Amino acid sequence: MVTLVHSQRPPSPLARLREVWRYRELLDSFIVRNLKVKYQRSLLGFVWTLVNPLLTVTILVVVFSHVVRIPVPNYWAFLLSGYFVWNFMLQTLNTGTYIFAEHSRLTRSVAFPSEILVFGAAGSRLLEFVAEISFILIALAVFHHHTVPVSFALLPLLIVIQLLIAVGLALPIATLSVFYYDVYHALPIALTTLFYLSPVFYPATMVPAAARDVYFLNPIAGLLTLYHDVLYQGQMPPLPLLLAMSVAALTIFAIGYATFNRYAAVFAEIV
Amino acid sequence: MPLSIATPPSSPKSSDRAVAPAVELRGVSKRFYFYEHRTSTLREWFIRRVLRRPLHVGRTEFTLHDVDFRVDPGESVALIGANGSGKSTALRLIAGIYRPSSGTIETHGRITAVIELGAGFHPELTGAENIALYAAVLGLPRRELAARYDEIVEFAAIRDFLDTPLKYYSSGMEARLAFSVAVCLRPEILLLDEVLAVGDQTFRTRCLERLRQYHIEGGTLLLVSHELHQLRELCTRAIWLDRGRLAMDGPIDHVLEAYRAGPR
Repeated sequence: MVTLVHSQRPPSPLARLREVWRYRELLDSFIVRNLKVKYQRSLLGFVWTLVNPLLTVTILVVVFSHVVRIPVPNYWAFLLSGYFVWNFMLQTLNTGTYIFAEHSRLTRSVAFPSEILVFGAAGSRLLEFVAEISFILIALAVFHHHTVPVSFALLPLLIVIQLLIAVGLALPIATLSVFYYDVYHALPIALTTLFYLSPVFYPATMVPAAARDVYFLNPIAGLLTLYHDVLYQGQMPPLPLLLAMSVAALTIFAIGYATFNRYAAVFAEIV
Repeated sequence: MPLSIATPPSSPKSSDRAVAPAVELRGVSKRFYFYEHRTSTLREWFIRRVLRRPLHVGRTEFTLHDVDFRVDPGESVALIGANGSGKSTALRLIAGIYRPSSGTIETHGRITAVIELGAGFHPELTGAENIALYAAVLGLPRRELAARYDEIVEFAAIRDFLDTPLKYYSSGMEARLAFSVAVCLRPEILLLDEVLAVGDQTFRTRCLERLRQYHIEGGTLLLVSHELHQLRELCTRAIWLDRGRLAMDGPIDHVLEAYRAGPR
């Protein structure tokens, strides 16, 4: 017998996570739905997901190895090892701005832990990312390293860090978007700025040493540096960086989730 | 005093009856904040917070005010009242969609609330895919759906359209599909908000039949509807809400009679 008691007190974060666990089947229903809706009635389907970023990568390669020269050997390999990570971040964070508006009927009429919408969006995006990165791993192993570097084994850990940061930032963005539509307009501008402030098309080592401490306050900078070490350099990243990023990812997720939890109870009344 | 030993200890939670209630509301109030906060923008935020000038006078309104009632397992109860009297809010509070401003709500048993029919439907997905999605939204475990699937399809009478995207369905078909999923879930507590007015006459009759069956099998039912004759067919008890307060609670004929006679 399920007994539920509702009062004005919000549930503890732990109780909230238990609820999410109880609704785990809904989570994968959402993930499957997102992918189905995106790819059905499309002949090339997943190819489009690859084509768009690959086109950008091609342009960046042309510009930064022939016009503005960035002194990185095999520049295409460098770009591939970070660009798709950036793309994942960009899309997951952007989703946060409209996900609750898009599902307002659902949040108004069904009781379920609404973070599942954010988790589901990140989850379906993650599946696409895993498919993309598999292609990139093959390309890097064959044409760049001519072998399979041991460091590739660290990829799952990097993906966990990446997911925690993405969801940890998307949750407060989604919360804020419920109250202020401005986020929808402001976030793309913020992300464009962040693109230049993150080592996507240049290595972090090119950042002047004096500015580096400030530069690495951006968690995406640390994340991309990890990816460059592991995928492009094919070497183990420095342990301090790996530890720092793991702690940072957990902290971002915890704070993001706590912020969300504080306001989630009134979403149904507002959206 | 031997007598006091015989008296069971009174706990504040359990009431005088032996059965645990299916639904119990104790001193429940719900207040909504209608300050135009809802569409507030950064400009407004700046005026309010930084310049510290009041922008709008916050208007708060009680949609429910200190409501108490309990529903026992197996009861079928109608919630009636004029528009805006708090019926839907009450259902949403029981379902756990809203959180009460004060008071507590306790529910015992698996609960399914249908506030808007087909709230989880996606137009691009097929009928079959939408059945799975909606069942997941309403909290039905996947293996239980497999057992109910045929029954749902049968009841909705859409077998030939299972592989058709929902956007090609007529609105009646869509409503039938949604309703079928909801009633075939067989929760222990079923909350329905004005969703009985769907489909054609035949389908409606079958819906009523189905709900009656659900009631006979011991399900607890809470219905919001303006179709009083329908309520009379299905419910034994009615709760009348008037501007957020409990106006009357009793046998359905009795309450309906008073309700028809006009506001108290």
